[in-house]
Amino acid sequence: MKKALTLTFITTLTVLLTSCNSDATQHSGMSLIQKSDPDPIILDEKTEKDHKLVASIKKDVAKFDELYDVAVIKGDEEILVAYKVKHMQRFHMVKIEGEINKMLEEKYPKENFIVSSDYKIFLEAVELNDKMKDPDFSEKDAKKKLEEIIKLKKELT
Amino acid sequence: MGNKKPESKEVEQYKQFEKNFETKRPVFKNCLKAFLVGGFICMVGQAITYFYIYFFSFTEQTAGNPTVATMVFISMLLTGFGVYDRLGQFAGAGSAVPVTGFGNAVISAAIEHRTEGFVLGVGGNLFKLAGSVVLFGVFSAFVVALIKTILIKLGAI
Repeated sequence: MKKALTLTFITTLTVLLTSCNSDATQHSGMSLIQKSDPDPIILDEKTEKDHKLVASIKKDVAKFDELYDVAVIKGDEEILVAYKVKHMQRFHMVKIEGEINKMLEEKYPKENFIVSSDYKIFLEAVELNDKMKDPDFSEKDAKKKLEEIIKLKKELT
Repeated sequence: MGNKKPESKEVEQYKQFEKNFETKRPVFKNCLKAFLVGGFICMVGQAITYFYIYFFSFTEQTAGNPTVATMVFISMLLTGFGVYDRLGQFAGAGSAVPVTGFGNAVISAAIEHRTEGFVLGVGGNLFKLAGSVVLFGVFSAFVVALIKTILIKLGAI
């Protein structure tokens, strides 16, 4: 009995641990459990106007009481807005997403937004933010990563 | 079913007599055990969901599928080792209601009928218990989908 239990435990642990292929950094690693508040990122031309735009978007989204962490990434065509919802407010996720979408569309009608409350999207956004600090990480890589995040967001099953 | 004959005096007397000797079911204690063990199983499931989100490219929406598969697989192993049966005796519904109970139902039927051969024994009886879960699961999903479709068509949602 004890042997069987130990065997199950070891098997499970081995399967779970050996299959890790994480390239997540320390910062992004903690973002699932604590507030990380990443800076907004701009991937294409970084003009003053763009900086103001992403900062303003982040500020507007962060105003929602139900949220506690917001990440904004501006790509060539789309702006990704990822956020974390407070635990007890997670029952109203669809409503909150609708409200944020509506607010963004009204305030920034020219921009194309992708809004997500998914932990994974937020985690990837923070990871991209961390990678951007690395001088070896090119803009092309960053754009590729953003495309991957958007593809993830659109994936349903 | 509703028009039962009124019970005779002797029967009622016997029932009263029997009640005095009957062991009382510890309903509250059973509920508490089921709650704690069921909650623990769900906690493990949540941890596995985060594991898939964190280390693989699964989002919150898509991580459910591999999580269910992993939980069922673990419960199948535990059933084979004879651990899950003991857990079932201790926790009752707490171990049967989560998806792990499904794995337990499949494997315990397979073990029971192993002596009757692989085709007629294992193959024929594998879903003896779990079959009702599949049937009513599919049927209730159909009913809920039907109600949702009707409500959408009527414009209520």
